Amino acid sequence: MVNITLRVNGATCTGSPEARKTLADFLRDDLNLTGTHLGCEHGVCGACTVIVDGRAVRSCLMLAVQAAGREVTTIEGLADDGGLGPLQQAMWDAHSFQCGFCTPGMVMQATAFLSDHPEAGEQQVREALSGNICRCTGYQSIIDGVLLAAERNRER
Amino acid sequence: MTAIAAERYTGASIKRSEDPRILTGTGRYVDDIKLPGMLHAAFVRSPLAHARVLSVDVSAARALPGVVAVLTGADLEAMTVPGPDTLMALMGWQGPSPEFTLLATDKVRLVGDPVAVVIAESRYLAEDGCELVEVEYDDLPAVVNAAFALDPSSPPLFANLGDNIARRHSRSESGDVSGTLANADRVIDFHIDVHRHQNVPMEGRGCVASYDADQGVMTFYAATQGVHVSRMAVASRLGLEPGKVHVLAGDIGGSFGLKIGASREELAVAAASRLLGRPVKWVEDRGENLTVSGQAREESFDVRAAISNDGDLLGLDVKMVIDTGSYPGMGVMVPDILQGMLPGPYKLRALGFESTAAITNKAPYVAYRGPWASETFVRERVLNLIAKDLGLDPVEIRLRNFAPRTDPPAMMVTGRPLAGVTSKESLERVAQLVDFPAFRRRQAEARAQGRYLGLGMATFIEAAPGPRSAEPDAALGNESMRLRLTEDGIVELFTGQMPHGQSHQTTLAQIAADEFGVPFEQVRVVVGDSDVVPFGLTGGSRSATMTGGVTLHGARELKAKVLDFAAHLMEVSAQDLLITDGNVWVRGDPASAVAVSEVAQRAASGPFGDDVDAKLEVEATYDGGEGGWSGGTHCAIVEVDVETGIVKVERYVAAEDCGALINPAVVEGQIRGGIAQGIGAVLLERSAYAEDGTFQSATFMDYLMPTACDVPRIEIQHLETVPLDAHVNFRGVGEGGMIVAPPTVVNAIEDALSPFGVRIYEQHLPPARILELIAAADPGQ
Amino acid sequence: MKLPPVEYEAPTTVAEAVDLLAEHADEASVLAGGQSLIPLLALRLARPELLIDINGIDELSGVSATDGQVAIGAMTREYVAEESETLAGTVPLLAAALPLIGHEAIRSRGTIGGSLAHGDPAAELPAVARALDAEFVVRSQSGERVIPAAQWFEGYLMTSRRPDELLLEARFPAARPGTGTSFQEVARRHGDFAIVGLAASLTLSGGTISDARLAFAGMSDVPVRAAAAEDLLVGESPSAELFEEAARRAADDTDPPADLHGSSDYRKKVAAALVRRGLRAAADNANEGQ
Repeated sequence: MVNITLRVNGATCTGSPEARKTLADFLRDDLNLTGTHLGCEHGVCGACTVIVDGRAVRSCLMLAVQAAGREVTTIEGLADDGGLGPLQQAMWDAHSFQCGFCTPGMVMQATAFLSDHPEAGEQQVREALSGNICRCTGYQSIIDGVLLAAERNRER
Repeated sequence: MTAIAAERYTGASIKRSEDPRILTGTGRYVDDIKLPGMLHAAFVRSPLAHARVLSVDVSAARALPGVVAVLTGADLEAMTVPGPDTLMALMGWQGPSPEFTLLATDKVRLVGDPVAVVIAESRYLAEDGCELVEVEYDDLPAVVNAAFALDPSSPPLFANLGDNIARRHSRSESGDVSGTLANADRVIDFHIDVHRHQNVPMEGRGCVASYDADQGVMTFYAATQGVHVSRMAVASRLGLEPGKVHVLAGDIGGSFGLKIGASREELAVAAASRLLGRPVKWVEDRGENLTVSGQAREESFDVRAAISNDGDLLGLDVKMVIDTGSYPGMGVMVPDILQGMLPGPYKLRALGFESTAAITNKAPYVAYRGPWASETFVRERVLNLIAKDLGLDPVEIRLRNFAPRTDPPAMMVTGRPLAGVTSKESLERVAQLVDFPAFRRRQAEARAQGRYLGLGMATFIEAAPGPRSAEPDAALGNESMRLRLTEDGIVELFTGQMPHGQSHQTTLAQIAADEFGVPFEQVRVVVGDSDVVPFGLTGGSRSATMTGGVTLHGARELKAKVLDFAAHLMEVSAQDLLITDGNVWVRGDPASAVAVSEVAQRAASGPFGDDVDAKLEVEATYDGGEGGWSGGTHCAIVEVDVETGIVKVERYVAAEDCGALINPAVVEGQIRGGIAQGIGAVLLERSAYAEDGTFQSATFMDYLMPTACDVPRIEIQHLETVPLDAHVNFRGVGEGGMIVAPPTVVNAIEDALSPFGVRIYEQHLPPARILELIAAADPGQ
Repeated sequence: MKLPPVEYEAPTTVAEAVDLLAEHADEASVLAGGQSLIPLLALRLARPELLIDINGIDELSGVSATDGQVAIGAMTREYVAEESETLAGTVPLLAAALPLIGHEAIRSRGTIGGSLAHGDPAAELPAVARALDAEFVVRSQSGERVIPAAQWFEGYLMTSRRPDELLLEARFPAARPGTGTSFQEVARRHGDFAIVGLAASLTLSGGTISDARLAFAGMSDVPVRAAAAEDLLVGESPSAELFEEAARRAADDTDPPADLHGSSDYRKKVAAALVRRGLRAAADNANEGQ
């Protein structure tokens, strides 16, 4: 067991995970933040994507102990009071999702991407999200949601 | 579209009520469930494809701190009741019935076959425990293809069957098969293969089983397409009265046919929970999902096509072999459905069909989105191959062979009426959208520069639910719904539908809101609780018609009841009352408006006389009305890099007819998702086995899923429907995309490679295969 | 797919890490970015007794250019290298390969040193290192060694790093004037490992090729140089015929593996196509530079 302190969604959290416990499992089991999903546990599907120190990472490929001292944002922390941030709102408007299992990872990856590339066009968005697998939508509605958010952001 | 009382919501892309929780990570999937005292299960699984189990030593595993129990196959036999697969029983399967134990006892039949289950304080510890279980195996020859399975010398997987035949060879004929073949201008033979691939929802199978010994009640949190089917499966296997099993399902991360009933692992977990008196959770990981949960589509076809020199497809004689894997699934039922659908919307006048189903050391053949889809693949490939032989255009040959829409409707040679089918219109619409002559010019220019573009199309129909049938299946031919007006004025719909991406909580509310007369927000759709919802199963693309229909008619019945009561309250005749925007009012007198919620409150605060019915609830059933077909034509433009074999889908167009649309965004999402799976099947996905039965696609590094860079923007046009029913003309779209996309893409690839003389008789075309086909082809063809 | 039990240490200096490696040697695995190692642990294919997490050793990160070469600290994140203007200007072949590594989220954590120490023959960085004759600096309690790329990659996922050695940095030579480069790759999907990849570099002077580097990913159990093709090119003027001949020679000299994603024959064909394309692109880049 390793004692760790980290910031998750703006709040300081502590824990004593085993060294082998992934950040994904720590978030889900120890912090009860079950919004981050496990789709493959070998770093390919992207469902577990969270933001650590401003970068999108696959939380199944980080040990919880490696997040000590870091700033972690999960899907639950994107908007205040469980409301919807602008990207989430745009994805709602664009009918981006169906079963919702890939959604947290997609939203987090898109959030990180848009903050670095606010002017991105469709092809760039597709490439940026190509590491997140969705089985339901065929991706178009997700891309549309991201592009809509970007457009609205520019208009503001 | 007739009949909807107020089309304020129906037909519009109303935003989903599911999304606020989906988008904020506050959905509740089965792995999110935590119960006090909950334990975790992991399975010890066979590394061998086919072997006798000589011994299972669990002592070291049991001794590991954190491990609470280890149960072997023998332990589980002692605490469960053997029986047939629930889905097969539900569908009335009468054929060979393999006998096997819940977990493997005497033998294992595929790599990953569960041999024991370890229950521990965490999944981490359970997996540690699994490593300590020592199993001794005696290797047996692996049966890894249908040819060997059908050979009498292959070792039977199931002792009670004596061979590896899951379904006896059978043959049936519709129309004059021999006469048609004998009198045709030409008879051409084809052999066509479809490869093994699988559902791969992003969430695997899983459950939390929680047995309350005091009440004798098993609460089963499931990821399932139908809570009652799961309830029946758990009850019968555990020897519990069905009323003593309570199945709850929340959000489900996709299924595509996989999660029906309860798997062997889930049943073992339920038994473990009862034994231990504590909740037990099991959620499969991706390796388990890919290796054992189930696979589909591995079928081969020998096809004789009887044609005229002018391009009439007169008859087909088809021999099908289906590889149904090891444990029973729905594979044995696929040939019948496939046979019935083979003629499609065409004028085929004779069909001979025979099938054999083989048992092999592979994952069970499960339902996968359009299980019969190979009928469209075979037929649409055959049409293109015939067209090539005769020098006809693929459009021409289809237009020539479509059955015209007549009244009374033309009959498929296999017996179903082609009522309201708009195949011709869908093909014409695609032709408008794509501009074939312009493409052919561009294709020629590209070829001159050494670039290979191709165009392919395919047409299909889907029985979603299909036209009124003479023999509705008892379990599926009616849809039930309970509707009631709650005390606070909410229209509540209780349905056995179990959405796992289909957006029923939105679409059904749209219909009810329009029909009843309340705002969308004043309707609540209740799913996922076997104690309160009627029987139902989400599958077969039937919910649009069946559940949309029972919602429409049920809402009317409920409204009539509410108006009768309101009439009593307001002392007017019910005929003079309307409900709009959540208010009941007298026609012509807006000031008379009373909120629906107030009417409901009054009804709840009785008592009333015997002549007043204040129970504002109805139990509705719907038989599908006139039903109808869905269908359409899809077209793809691809580019093939002939040096590397990489295929890019440049453009994809779908003209589809699903009758009246409840929610266009939902419809289009379903279509696009199915098309993505079809593209995946052709270019990326294969459930691969080595010769010794080792499974080679057990991670996402090897089972390749289509990504945002693999699926193009898909253009969809909806056709004007031909309404068949006076009230309900919504038809399903769940499976169509996945049925028709594979032949669409393969037809396009063959077109791209036609300068090389390539002809394609298979569905899986990874880059290496493309180069092989080019190298083997004869440009003179 | 949960990781097996494992001990964990997180040294904060190179000296500490080296001491741990001396003590535990081949019972320990070094944990850098984790993008390759953690999946192996999750699949229980790797079973070290100890993880030595070097993410806390700040002195291992950084990109510095000196004297005609660029030194990249082993813990330099791939995304940092991708954003480095120094690298883009001095080692364009590396800069071209970096965006092809997996996806952004992988490059958030993955490291230059981690990828090179893992030594996956289908990965992009080993091919670049082999093409450019990069050097690897390792340290153990016995001192430091500098190992050239030709001797670094020994076999499938095997490097000549001894179990008690820590990779400190990789050094890449700066591209000389007149150099054009290209990284070509055929992968099943965007972001996947290469079925076949090619790191290509041509230096032109006075219209003839003075230096040619061709290194394949995915064509063997290690990244391999197409030496015979390189010899063919040096001293000649770029032309389609020359490149065609080089492609043929390069592919003929290989003995690629067969797997789920391609047969040996397929890989040879693709290798030839990539050499043609890579040489053409490198020559075009070289001309633009002049």
